[in-house]
Amino acid sequence: MTSYLDHNATTPVRPEVVDAMVPWLRDGYGNPNSVYSLGQRARAAIERAREQAASLLGASDASEIVFTSGGSESDVLAIAGAAWQVHDETKGKRKTIVTTKIEHDAIRLLGAQLRRRGLTVLEAGCAADGIVDAAELKSMLDDATAVVSVMHSNNETGVLQPVAEFAAAARAAGALFHTDAVQSLGKLPIDVKALGVDLLAVSGHKVNAPKGVGALWIKRGTRLSPVVTGHQEKNRRGGTENTASIVGFGLACELAGRELSHAGSHALALRKKLEAGVLRIKGARLNGHPDLRLPNTAHFSFDGVDGHHLVVALDLENVCVSSGPACSSGASTPSHVLTAMGIPAAQATGSIRVSVGWGSNDADADRFLAVLPKALEKLRAVEAAA
Amino acid sequence: MSRRRVLVAMSGGVDSSVAAAMVHERGDEAVGVTMKLLARAETGFGCCGSPADVDDAKRVAERIGIAHYVSDMAEIFASKVIRPYLDAYLGGTTPNPCVECNRSLKFGHMLALSAAWNCDAVATGHYARVANGRLLKSLDQNKDQSYFLYSLDAKALAKAEFPVGSMTKDAVREKARALGLKTADKPESMETCFVPNRDVRGFVEANAEPGSAGLAPGPIRDRSGKELGRHTGLASYTVGQRSGLGLSGPEPRYVVRLDAAENAVIVGGTDEVWSKGITVGALTWNGERNGGTLRAEVRIRHRHTPAGASIEVNGETATVRFDEPQRAAAPGQAAVFYTGDEVIGGGTILRGDA
Repeated sequence: MTSYLDHNATTPVRPEVVDAMVPWLRDGYGNPNSVYSLGQRARAAIERAREQAASLLGASDASEIVFTSGGSESDVLAIAGAAWQVHDETKGKRKTIVTTKIEHDAIRLLGAQLRRRGLTVLEAGCAADGIVDAAELKSMLDDATAVVSVMHSNNETGVLQPVAEFAAAARAAGALFHTDAVQSLGKLPIDVKALGVDLLAVSGHKVNAPKGVGALWIKRGTRLSPVVTGHQEKNRRGGTENTASIVGFGLACELAGRELSHAGSHALALRKKLEAGVLRIKGARLNGHPDLRLPNTAHFSFDGVDGHHLVVALDLENVCVSSGPACSSGASTPSHVLTAMGIPAAQATGSIRVSVGWGSNDADADRFLAVLPKALEKLRAVEAAA
Repeated sequence: MSRRRVLVAMSGGVDSSVAAAMVHERGDEAVGVTMKLLARAETGFGCCGSPADVDDAKRVAERIGIAHYVSDMAEIFASKVIRPYLDAYLGGTTPNPCVECNRSLKFGHMLALSAAWNCDAVATGHYARVANGRLLKSLDQNKDQSYFLYSLDAKALAKAEFPVGSMTKDAVREKARALGLKTADKPESMETCFVPNRDVRGFVEANAEPGSAGLAPGPIRDRSGKELGRHTGLASYTVGQRSGLGLSGPEPRYVVRLDAAENAVIVGGTDEVWSKGITVGALTWNGERNGGTLRAEVRIRHRHTPAGASIEVNGETATVRFDEPQRAAAPGQAAVFYTGDEVIGGGTILRGDA
């Protein structure tokens, strides 16, 4: 029995989602763009999924949803697509992207690439609690700003960002606003209209759908320069649609929406229990704002320990948590998010993220809390001797 | 006996791949760990812990069906292995980084980690054997690596396992092939793992403080003190070396000694690189020993045929008298004492004695 407490890395695919997908992997293989009925059936399934996803996001129309290969592609389509479109429409007058130091690597590395290609990329910092510095971000906006991108919640700390406030500031500056809501989907209610954003990225595998599918919500009337070119998705994203995964994603969105309030309170109760247990340990700290956080995410630092070695120790006891984002394995370098929060490298290196989700229960929390103190004690002795 | 959990240090080479497979095959829980030894992940050469080797280790672990982790030990590797390596070359001696890596990393930090991870033992792909807490040469005498392991203490030997130590290299490769391990035919790494292209001088220059003594040019002299030429810095030379001296003359000249105090390379004819004895420091013994005289076979570099000798122990150092003079005893290298197959102790060569 494994206690899986890393739902921010990825989530288990729900059995009903698998069941809904299988027919589209077997008999329903038609190309959704084909004329004959085999294709039409696939098209209908995709359009139903589009409505399910649109509904979870509070979109006014399903056509605002573009399916992609996942959160990273959605982010790139949103930011690069918007930046180049605005750049071209304004004949290069608006060529600045304003974002933050705590974004997912998909966005940070895109920013570095766009900078090399001649766009201006500005990154606002954050306070010690992990909330983006509003004054700094707003001071970066001007009539050269093409697009602003601030994540809805941080994947490492779970800290929520004042997205509606930033979206309003971007609009006032005449810029488009994108938010990476990958980590928030299914954990909190998301309403694109209330947020006032133009673009919003989500991913399937964070909401109990499979990997390799996601979506970008594009407010009607917003023009983007496509990244993957082709006629599919109304010329906004080329490539034959991934029918089975899109169907699975659609159902996962519907299930998440239906269970949202219950799942949120269940996650919060588990998180509180984990936090209370962990913070009883000497030299343990909770990182990020104490309340303005995803209900499912807790990020801890421990004095005198290498977080990666702690993750291994816990894995050997069948508990899955992570140190830093899942993309970085092995290297004990402090994460850019914790660095931006001003957390010293030694403390940052001794960090783990615990995130609960669908299927998590008290037994998982109990097992984690039972094995953690012993693992910490042993590893601290090793580090002290090194 | 209940199922034990054994940490297997997997370099991504064939020997440690098979070691992991053997631990798994006998029914124990093998936990593969690859050490990340260099701070920069994108080193362009085949160093231990470089991404290609990590990938190989991961693929092998997956094939065998065991857990595999990467552990970042770059910081401790830099301080315990690379720094002393640089200091040795800069000070005119010839370091043995593998000895230090085994002592401080594999059977130091990793052994400590293994305990924290509730492992009962640490296995590596070394060719050596352990029996009743005693370190022995491998059965395949040609591959024997006990020389690099002599400094493991009793605590380490109690936990150490060398599953391929009773196999020939051919048998190891054969087994890897039979198991379908992708490392089966991977070439052996011969050089120091962290030194690209075997360019010791280039590595020392790139990593030492500029202006370090061992990089300064100086005289090449014969034993009488006569200057025969110029050298480019002691870090480029090792006792016994013939090429790279840039000397002309009728007879071949060899490095006999590196004189750090004078920043001089002392050379001589072929008969002058032989030592009747050596003085050995930083002694370790399998068991207690502070004084007295003993007989042993002494190996003064990897693959050297151990030479019969009397060893007089004087506390911190020992004086070794060979039955027959031995060629090119280089200060900084290990001298390992054997009785037959058993390693009874060893230390670092301080100087060769004429």
